[in-house]
Amino acid sequence: MTQLKPVLLGIVSFTVILLVWESAVRVGWLNPFFTSQPTAIAAALARDVRSGELARGASVSVREFGAGFGAAIVVGLSLGVVAGWFRSVEYALDPFIWFIYSAPLIAFYPLFVLWLGLGTHTVIAISFLLSVTPITVNTATGIRNLSPTLLLAARSFGARPHDVLWKVALPASVPMMVAGLRLGVGRALTGVVIAELFVPSGGLGSSIAYNAGLLRTTDMLASLMVIVVLGVICTQGLSAIEARFDSWRIGPGF
Amino acid sequence: MVHIRIDGLTVAYDKPLAGGAFVAVSNLNLDVPRGTFVTIVGPSGCGKSSVLLAIAGLTKPAAGRVLVNDRPVSGPGRDRAMVFQEFALMPWRTVVENVRFGLELQRWTGEDLTERAHRYVRLVGLQGFEHYRPHQLSGGMRQRVGIARALAVNPEILLLDEPFGALDAQTRESMGDELLKIWEQDKKTALFVTHSIDEAIFLGDTVVIMSTGPGRIVETIPIDLARPRTIDMMDTAAFVEYRRRIRHQLNGEVPAHA
Amino acid sequence: MRSRLLVSTVAVTLFLVAWEIAPRLRLVDPFFTSQPSRVLVAGVDIIRSGTLLHDATVSLSEFTVGFALALVVGVPVGLMLGTFPTLRHLLDPPLMAIYATPQLALLPIFVLWLGIGMASKIAVVFIGASIPIIVNSMAGVRQVEQPLVLAARSFCATGRDVFVKVMLPASLPAVMIGIRLGLSRAVLGVVVAEMYVSQEGVGNQIMRLGSAFRVDHLLVYVLLVSAFGLGATTMARKLEERVAR
Repeated sequence: MTQLKPVLLGIVSFTVILLVWESAVRVGWLNPFFTSQPTAIAAALARDVRSGELARGASVSVREFGAGFGAAIVVGLSLGVVAGWFRSVEYALDPFIWFIYSAPLIAFYPLFVLWLGLGTHTVIAISFLLSVTPITVNTATGIRNLSPTLLLAARSFGARPHDVLWKVALPASVPMMVAGLRLGVGRALTGVVIAELFVPSGGLGSSIAYNAGLLRTTDMLASLMVIVVLGVICTQGLSAIEARFDSWRIGPGF
Repeated sequence: MVHIRIDGLTVAYDKPLAGGAFVAVSNLNLDVPRGTFVTIVGPSGCGKSSVLLAIAGLTKPAAGRVLVNDRPVSGPGRDRAMVFQEFALMPWRTVVENVRFGLELQRWTGEDLTERAHRYVRLVGLQGFEHYRPHQLSGGMRQRVGIARALAVNPEILLLDEPFGALDAQTRESMGDELLKIWEQDKKTALFVTHSIDEAIFLGDTVVIMSTGPGRIVETIPIDLARPRTIDMMDTAAFVEYRRRIRHQLNGEVPAHA
Repeated sequence: MRSRLLVSTVAVTLFLVAWEIAPRLRLVDPFFTSQPSRVLVAGVDIIRSGTLLHDATVSLSEFTVGFALALVVGVPVGLMLGTFPTLRHLLDPPLMAIYATPQLALLPIFVLWLGIGMASKIAVVFIGASIPIIVNSMAGVRQVEQPLVLAARSFCATGRDVFVKVMLPASLPAVMIGIRLGLSRAVLGVVVAEMYVSQEGVGNQIMRLGSAFRVDHLLVYVLLVSAFGLGATTMARKLEERVAR
């Protein structure tokens, strides 16, 4: 029964927020121009679902996210393994990774637009750049911090470097890699949404910007809700996957 | 005079996932005279720590009660202090600050707390380490801080929950020896929980043997060895005989002689 | 450690050299990619012109106010949530929802409510920074080791004692981590928010320069933002290390 308590409280929480919101608007405390109301948003969402608009927008964003994050996984994992294995590669990459991590990449979007056109490809590029960093860094750390005890054990059985890499280092780094993926997922989604605010690609972020420009609060919030739901699904999903690999985590004593 | 009386003590913990309760101790009775050093020995899960926690006032009994000086225990008090197996030192406080910890919480007035703390740091042999942090100390040293902290509040009763459990065998022996030297100075009533039969015999005036399923006392053995105790007493015939008796009792065998 | 600096420096130098030479060899058009030399010239130009000071002041003010608010609100809220499970279960879902949302998706709403001036940027910074601070402070309280609390209670600690003398100091390292994470989100938040819509500030400049394809000047500003972010997080790291034991 205690397991259910958090879930129930969570549901209560959301319900209360929605009720208060709706009532406040009806009673006149909140101006729907600024805040809209749950019923209106629900209606807008229903309309968009029926017209297929929601599906179109969401699918654009999801595809951009998939492409950007997918590329980030491939590049991030490979680069991370190489950087983790060869210390000099890590040192060489460090300043560039720092830059990509800390610079407001969206600032370069005019350049991206020039190179890749005003649309999906720019969004994918920005999403890729934002998410590749935590994946690379985490993977490299996982490989680099291979427990010396495991290494010793492997070598005592005659493992050569390439055995160590494939049979020990990579499997041992999986928890760190998955953690990096979890961090990357958030950033990939962020990248898509931010880029879409600036670059009209037909995705959810673009529709937020479009509706914001027309001061259509309800439609703006409707798209936002979809983004929030997608974000929660992604992060929860990856947390669940991460938990499954938790038992692989090497604790103290190794 | 009976300092501590445990009367029909039952301690149970909720089982959050399975539902129901896990009974750690069931209907336990024990009288502890003032000034005795009582050791409690038993296998894991026999509830010996729970008994201590109940005396300390840190768990509420499901049934029964604990009386100290004929008054029921309802929570922690200045008359009892505890030493923990995991040391439980505040990592951000220095040695001296950790020894002060109990004094601060109990709101001692009328003397300089830091000076008092320093005295107890010296008592446990840690002079020179006053400004070290726990992570800079060995396990044995950390436990000395724990002991100093408990002694600093001048309790009537000292409760030690497997205090040497996290230490290596050699350190355990020397710590036990030192603990007795400190205890000899004012002979407070002490309850000492341990896994180790030797430790129980060496330290105690009385050894209380507990068993699991649920926890209860199976035998109480008075230890008739002279004080102050010395390590070579552990090789005497009497000691060996006590050890044999207790081991058989713990393994569930009936001893050859009563 | 020295070899780390060496390799990094060599890598960066090689990159800079390649970047400088490639346009000269007509491999790329400097209009798209700029060159280190041009960036330097632009940098000098910007410093001399004095616009940097004004824009930096605006952005810094928005950043500071927003972050200060995040600290003042976030740390206590996080600590409270960590201490009271019921409160946590109640507030967790909306909190997690905001956490999972890109902070900048909320930007258009804030602009709608607070206008295109500094207030909306402060709001973005506040939301962006307070979330990691709350989440980490909460985690910090929750992972305080039980023996510490038990020990305090054994010495007759009141609930307040336990909170002040055990929970607070024990959660400090985690709170510092939250602050460091919040810092980088705050820096990016200010700049990107200003890029979206504003009348002044570093992000605003970046937007103008980007639209005009003045890549060299753009790069100067971008590098400045990165450097600021690095400085802030490095200081936060140093503080973190001093607090950890």
